[in-house]
Amino acid sequence: MKITVRLAIVLCALSLSGFAQAGNEIGTEAAIRALEQQWTDAQSRNDNRALDLIFDNSLVYVEYGSLVTKGEYLARIKSAGPQLSQIVMERMSVRISGSTAIVVGTYRERDLRNGRPRLTRWRFIDTWVYKKASWVLVAAGAAPLTE
Amino acid sequence: MRVWMLIALVACTVTSVALAQENPDADRESKIIAMEHVWAQAYMAKDPKALARILDDAFVCVDSNGRLHAKADVLADVKTSNLLQLLMEAMAVHLHGDTAIITGIFRTTGVDHGKPFARRERFVDTWLYRNGQWVSISSLVTAAGD
Repeated sequence: MKITVRLAIVLCALSLSGFAQAGNEIGTEAAIRALEQQWTDAQSRNDNRALDLIFDNSLVYVEYGSLVTKGEYLARIKSAGPQLSQIVMERMSVRISGSTAIVVGTYRERDLRNGRPRLTRWRFIDTWVYKKASWVLVAAGAAPLTE
Repeated sequence: MRVWMLIALVACTVTSVALAQENPDADRESKIIAMEHVWAQAYMAKDPKALARILDDAFVCVDSNGRLHAKADVLADVKTSNLLQLLMEAMAVHLHGDTAIITGIFRTTGVDHGKPFARRERFVDTWLYRNGQWVSISSLVTAAGD
């Protein structure tokens, strides 16, 4: 009887631990998705303070094939006028490996090039790392979808 | 002459080991750069087995055309690699605990459907230290802009 009870307790504990882990992962995924949205929103508002919190100090960002540091990115946002480009996020997937999260997704960007409206679809990969009790963006880049 | 070369080699090795011991980050950075070279060599040698060991099972790659590839796609691609030359340059590693970001440029030449090509592309790879070894979990490749 005792063995059966102990076995039941162990199984119960294992199930709860499994649920807790799954729950944590779902919570983390939601947090990362929210941060991706905050990044888009902050950029559309030229909100440097919000971006400063989202980006790690050693962020590496690849834009049109060139490396951009956090400082360069924020300086550009600071000096930019009202955003002429509009970004619409599409589907994204989040994979969590311990304190690292990889987000892969696509977005549409509408902007003006030589005075003409242009629509580009991009596929991106972002890397987030959990540091000092919060998730920060450490690497990001995108390639234009050509097909 | 040979003795001097041997002395220089030993001195270099001792200095590298001492530096690695003094600065564990330098050691980890060197390892990641070495893994990138293994990756490049696997492509040149059309050796998917060598590559399989350093790519995580959940590995994802976005290429310069915005296409998404899983590990299996990359391993299949290696077998049919059309590269004649692959040179890597300007590599920089950023460590975040057990996560590493490496950026760099690779120049490739090859023949695609009978047409020769030369490309210069920028990559951003994410590596994870897991079970005592580094594995790549993602890679972004895009045409170099500068």
